[in-house]
Amino acid sequence: MVTGAVPTARDVAGRRFRAARGVVAFLLVALIAALALAALRPAASPQRLDPASASQQGARALAQLLAQRGTPPSVRRSARDAAQHSTSDTVLVVTRTDRLTGADLDLLRTAPGDVLLVEPGQRVLTALAPGVEEARGAYRDAVEPGCAVPAAQLAGRVGFQSGATYTVPSGATGCYREEEAARLVQLPVGGRTVTVLGSGAPLTNEYLADQGNAALALNLIGARSAVVWLVPDLPAPGADDGDQGLLDLVPPGVTLFALQLVVAVVLVALWRGRRFGPVVTEPLPVVVRSAETAEGRARLYRAHHARGTAADALRAGTRARLMPLLGLPRSAADDPRFSVEVVAAVAARTTLDQGTAGFALYGPEPAGDAALVALSDLLNDLERQVRQS
Amino acid sequence: MALTGRLGLLALLAAALPLLLPSGLTLLLVWGALLLGVAVDLAFAGNVRALALHRSGDTRVRLGESATVVLTVENTGRRRVRALLRDAWPPSAGAAPRLTRVDVPAGERRRVEITLTPTRRGDREAVAVVVRSRGPLGLAARQLSRPAPWRVRVLPAFPSRRHLPAKLARLRQMTGSNVALVRGQGTEFDSLREYVAGDDVRSIDWRATARRGDVVVRTWRPERDRRIYLVLDTGRTSAGRVGDVPRLDCSMDAALLLGALASRAGDRVDLLAYDRRVRARVEGSSRTDLLTSMVEAMAPLEPELIESDAAGMVSALLSRVRQRCLVVLLTELNPAAIEEGLLPLLPRLTARHLVLVAAVTDPRLTEMAAARDDLVGVYDAAAAERARADRTRLTAELRAFGVEVVDAPPSDLAPALADAYLTLKAAGRL
Repeated sequence: MVTGAVPTARDVAGRRFRAARGVVAFLLVALIAALALAALRPAASPQRLDPASASQQGARALAQLLAQRGTPPSVRRSARDAAQHSTSDTVLVVTRTDRLTGADLDLLRTAPGDVLLVEPGQRVLTALAPGVEEARGAYRDAVEPGCAVPAAQLAGRVGFQSGATYTVPSGATGCYREEEAARLVQLPVGGRTVTVLGSGAPLTNEYLADQGNAALALNLIGARSAVVWLVPDLPAPGADDGDQGLLDLVPPGVTLFALQLVVAVVLVALWRGRRFGPVVTEPLPVVVRSAETAEGRARLYRAHHARGTAADALRAGTRARLMPLLGLPRSAADDPRFSVEVVAAVAARTTLDQGTAGFALYGPEPAGDAALVALSDLLNDLERQVRQS
Repeated sequence: MALTGRLGLLALLAAALPLLLPSGLTLLLVWGALLLGVAVDLAFAGNVRALALHRSGDTRVRLGESATVVLTVENTGRRRVRALLRDAWPPSAGAAPRLTRVDVPAGERRRVEITLTPTRRGDREAVAVVVRSRGPLGLAARQLSRPAPWRVRVLPAFPSRRHLPAKLARLRQMTGSNVALVRGQGTEFDSLREYVAGDDVRSIDWRATARRGDVVVRTWRPERDRRIYLVLDTGRTSAGRVGDVPRLDCSMDAALLLGALASRAGDRVDLLAYDRRVRARVEGSSRTDLLTSMVEAMAPLEPELIESDAAGMVSALLSRVRQRCLVVLLTELNPAAIEEGLLPLLPRLTARHLVLVAAVTDPRLTEMAAARDDLVGVYDAAAAERARADRTRLTAELRAFGVEVVDAPPSDLAPALADAYLTLKAAGRL
């Protein structure tokens, strides 16, 4: 139902815009942020200790140094790949050891060549450097080597930042000791040399220039004729050894059960979906309410505040009903020449004075909606009084 | 072909088998068994084509009442038919039950009763009979749609026939045929009879009295064998609904009451339904079958959404009617339609005939004019007053042409029209 002013298309559009602008603004901001992030994202991989990464945590500087010295690191992203490219004359640098699965460790253990483990966990140590165990963390930055490993002796003081330390088993050499534990442990395992480095900081772009970091890194890594650098990707979900996919765990009967359920559902659908004969149509009669024109006219009056027209209609209706009651001819209802006579007759039979009766029956257009309702009430009252007199 | 719920249920239950015997073979066996069951059912289901369908029962029903149509299913095949049967009718025929279970052994026949409770006037035709014949296992069925034509004509409800006894009583009073003491009204000389105490002395026929030596009075009766022409307007204005009933149905009701009354009063009644062409015409019916033929003619009438052609209607009327008659025009007092269409032609009509216009007032207008509680109500009241004023003005214009106008709400239109007719008859104006 229409109440008050009818909104224009412009109003409606404006209202819809105001209602939606918060959402639109949010979406715009989100879109811009996403575009900005995508644009700002460095092309190189931001991974820590990645020879391709130029970030502070990356190792591109070291990789370039190695390349200048004739041993460019060959970067491998999977343990299988790295093991295949290892020969007896390579150094295999293993970073991000937390990403290695059990199967990966098995591959690496059987691979030939020397190994440098950077920041290995206990699991990796057990597999690749048996006997070495994680001790506690160390936070002293620059430490003297204090050992017989040539690379460490050549490097001198090295800035490790914070890092892990390891116990030194018999037969192994420990350098950069912190009390009994060492930051660098070198030991022979099955004919190859495994070096465990407790902190990756000396290899990173950020700290490579500190103290003897570069010397240590180059001597450790560039010791042989080729370098294989393993930065493992995140293992695929469920790729760990011993794990199985969800489907492998489901008993075979259940799959068949589900298949049969699907068949049953299809059969039930066919049963319910089969129509019982034709759809019967028929033309329906038009439904128009007879009073629709009058109601439509009422809405038009209201929409355009046609108080004058409405008041005229109300007055004319009342006058037409009053004429027989007052004993006047019906034609007098709309005849202005009878107005004085009609008003006098009404005033004589009601408590209203002539002015009020005249206003009620022949007055001007009401000034506002309230005046129109008041006029309607007055006409009702007047008619009732005439009928009762 | 159709599958059944039993097949779905079996398939569902069989889903437990692979859990017990987890093998693809189990599943294949289950499917094979189900397929075999379906094949057996389809092969041994009763033959739907061998069914012969016969119909009997009601062909006419008054709107608001129920009709019974009997469908006889005869099995001429060799196998028993166990089937679910649907007799498809249009929705407004109100057919029940929707589905019936039938079991017809070979060579026998079964009756299926369908009850129709129509919701609208007009002809309702059966569309088809659909038979779903189930196989012996109940897993699958053969389904076929077969024609079984039947038509039920839904007649107008004629609710105002309850007014007929009262109007007939008034008619008898007028003719003086029931109460001896009351002098018959009217202008036509009926007979002479002996004076009885209480007779009006003005009706004593002195000449006959002198001849007989006894006081003799004349009796009078209204004229008989007048002609009434009922004209139904089936144009767009007749589609408007008053309450939930189209104006046309109100008009039909009033026309039927007037027809029944006038035929009892000895007048000839004809009917014409017109918008831009003749939709129905009933002429020259005898007194006894007038009502039947009127109802038959009215049953299929529907309001047409076109402007009525008043000129065509007047010529259709004048071309058929030679003698003077009472033309009862059942239409709507719509100022635009009447003033442009009928008013200019009225002189041609009134010159030879007596014209009576009957129309339905919408009680909604009275409601709208009375409810003036708030601003919305006041505007509604103003619009209603305006509509009523238009109607009053139109009525006055029509009366100026010597046309009688009956304008009454739907429940009162039929008796009001009958009263108007009786009044005209009593006044000898027919």
